Order: sequence, then C-alpha cells, then structure tokens
Amino acid sequence: MAYQLYRNTTLGNSLQESLDELIQSQQITPQLALQVLLQFDKAINSALAQRVRNRVNFRGSLNTYRFCDNVWTFVLNDVEFREVTELIKVDKVKIVACDGKRFF
Amino acid sequence: MVEPKLYRSVIEDVINDVRDIFLDDGVDEQVLMELKTLWENKLMQSRAVDGFHSEEQQLLLQVQQQHQPQQQQHHHHHHHQQAQPQQTVPQQAQTQQVLIPASQQAAAPQVIVPDSKLIQHMNASNMSAAATAATLALPAGVTPVQQILTNSGQLLQVVRAANGAQYIFQPQQSVVLQQQVIPQMQPGGVQAPVIQQVLAPLPGGISPQTGVIIQPQQILFTGNKTQVIPTTVAAPTPAQAQITATGQQQPQAQPAQQQAPLVLQVDGTGDTSSEEDEDEEEDYDDDEEEDKEKDGAEDGQVEEEPLNSEDDVSDEEGQELFDTENVVVCQYDKIHRSKNKWKFHLKDGIMNLNGRDYIFSKAIGDAEW
Repeated sequence: MAYQLYRNTTLGNSLQESLDELIQSQQITPQLALQVLLQFDKAINSALAQRVRNRVNFRGSLNTYRFCDNVWTFVLNDVEFREVTELIKVDKVKIVACDGKRFF
Repeated sequence: MVEPKLYRSVIEDVINDVRDIFLDDGVDEQVLMELKTLWENKLMQSRAVDGFHSEEQQLLLQVQQQHQPQQQQHHHHHHHQQAQPQQTVPQQAQTQQVLIPASQQAAAPQVIVPDSKLIQHMNASNMSAAATAATLALPAGVTPVQQILTNSGQLLQVVRAANGAQYIFQPQQSVVLQQQVIPQMQPGGVQAPVIQQVLAPLPGGISPQTGVIIQPQQILFTGNKTQVIPTTVAAPTPAQAQITATGQQQPQAQPAQQQAPLVLQVDGTGDTSSEEDEDEEEDYDDDEEEDKEKDGAEDGQVEEEPLNSEDDVSDEEGQELFDTENVVVCQYDKIHRSKNKWKFHLKDGIMNLNGRDYIFSKAIGDAEW
C-alpha cells in the first residue's frame, strides 16, 4: 500500500474535493471514492519516484520537530529553498516526511 | 519546479486506472469524466500554469484567452450558475456565501483585504450559528468569484488571492456576501432569501491610500430569522452597497452610518463615551469583532485595529498577503542531528510554497534549532 501522504497536496486535495462533490450529488459511493484515492496514492507515488528528477536545497532555522510513528514533522522558519533555476523564500514552512525506506 | 505535464500525466493515469473500478461499480463513464473535469478545474484554479485536457476545455481556454481574465471568470461564474439550478438543493442549510477576493489589480498596489487574514480569521473564530463574517473587497476592477454550489446548498467559494493562489473555502455557516447580483433561488424557498447586493465598482481614480473599501457584512440565517448586519464601510462613496433580500430580510441601505455609532472604541484615549456604554457595547463589539474583518472606515479603523491586532495570532500577515501554509510532503532518507544542527535528506516531495507547487526528487537541507 502506497503512502497516503500525498493526499494533502494541491493535486490530492482537489481530487478529494471533486470526489466529495460527486458523493454529495450521489453520483458515486464513498466506497468508490476511497478506491479512487487509493489509486491516486499509487499513481502519485510511482510518478514521483520515476518521473521527477530534480534537486532542491534548503536552509533555515528549525522551530519545532516531531518524530512519531516513523513520521517526521518539522516547522522551519525563514527558509530559503534553492533550486538551480530559482530561489524561494518563505517565513514558515511545515515539512511532513514519511520514511523513505518504509518496507525495510 | 513543477511541470503541468507531470500533473497531467498523473491525472490521466488515475482516471484510467479507476475507469475499471467505476465500471465495476456500475457507475457511468460520464461521472468519471465529471470527476476529471472537476479535478482539473480545481487544479487550474490553484495554479497559474495549467492546461486543459478535453477539447471542450481547450475551446473554452481559447475563448478565454481572447477575453480578459475577468471576463473569463465571469464566464465561469455564469457557467456555474447555470449549472446550479439543475441540481437538487436540499433545504438543510440555506447558505450562500460569496467571498470576494482581494484585489487583483496588477497595476494598483492596493491590498484591500488580505485573504489570509480573512480566511484565517474566519477559520479561527468559531463560527457560531449566529454569524460569520465575510469581507467584501472592492477593488477598482471587480473580480467575480467562482462559486461552486454543492447539493447541500453550501457554496464552495473559490477565493482568488492577489498572487493567483486559490483557496477553496467551505463555509460552515451561512454568510452571504455578494458583490454581484446572484439570482440564486433555492427551490421551494421557504426560508430561502435571496440576497442581492449590487455594488457599484469603485472609480478608477481612487488613490491607493483611500482605495481600500471593505464592507463586511453579516447575514444571519437562523431559522426564519434573517438579519443583515452590515458594518461600517470605508469608502469614499459610502452608498455603494445595498443589500436587498427578498423574503424576510430587511433591506438596508447606507449601513455604515447607521452602525458606526454603535461601535465604540474600547481603547479610546480621551474618549468621551462612558464606561457603561463600553460594557454594553463590548459584547456586541466582540461579536462584531469576530464577524468583522479589517475595516477601512474612518471610525472603524481606530476601533478595529487594536481589536484586530489582538485577534491576529500569526505574524505572517504583515509579510504575506495570503495564508498559505507552506507545506512540504515528502519522504525522508536520513535525518541527522548534531547538537542543534540538523541535516535533512529528503526525497520525492511535493512542496506548496507561497501558493505555488514545486516537486523534487531529492532535497537536502540544514537548519539550526
């Protein structure tokens, strides 16, 4: 089973909202929506693993950290994200990271 | 940096993979297409870069490109409106909410109401059944708001912030704030007042300093009672907002002047109002405080700013115009710490920073705690 981690992204949220609307209008069942989301998890996990090939560096100050159930959650302040092409600065960012070697 | 193509391909994969599931469940292919359309629309609304898949959408895109963005949104708006009456709308919650986005003026640097503050405020404050507030921003160019009316009668508001980021806001309570005439009648409207508010757009010559027009209004739907509580208006032309509602609502015009005297300064220096008045008004102020957003009114500004500053918890507001919680969802390869120096080795992540999406296959970071 793939991580459900990516459901809280623009892509995932818009999918969930669309599914919710269809459920509201009773065009699909919640069970079906769940199946769709599971399928989305698989698709996004594999797409990220295979189709994305770029690196990002970042630097900032760590505000909080949490490690629970093998999930790291960080809140950083005054962060600069640096990619080859551009620089992105944010005052606050939350990072949620699941174990990359989950099956081991 | 995210490519639209990647998102497109993911959508395609998912849709194709679930097609079988849909058919197994006996769901029509058309529903699948509708899902895809909904999904793509929401994606498109949240990002500046995007493209459509279906031909219909492409045609729409071409038409839109010929027109100005405002008209495009207007088109969407009408499109949504036309689609609405066909759906059955239960009468559970007659809520109509329209959230007017902040200024989208490219030229004018006016920031009328930060959406972040608005949404944050609205999310933070517990929306009691009594009232919720919505701010109405009147930029020099009226930007329509896209609404999506779900079958529960609640409007999913798509708020477009100044930078193009979108927030889908699903109000819990009924708050109606309309900048345009929205003739949405709910069938069998026993308690379905239609609030129409016609606002004349601001003249273009308003200077940035005074161009801020915020007219928060509260409309309560509680059973058979409907109250319209407009708050002060900070506008050079005060008589802009008129709320006319059919049914049991009271049409109110010139709300600002009527309400202004009721709102007193709590922190008044050299204020002549008595303490009793302050106490009496304080509850009312608090209620209004939750409902009101930043007020541009001359009276309101002095009163509201100290109160508002108490409400605001985050210090982002001064720095960002919208409340995007910048989130990174990813997997970690290795997290390392030495004393208070942390090193992060991350992979396969999707970031949403400043409203925009980015993706990485690897990310390395340093931070001090």
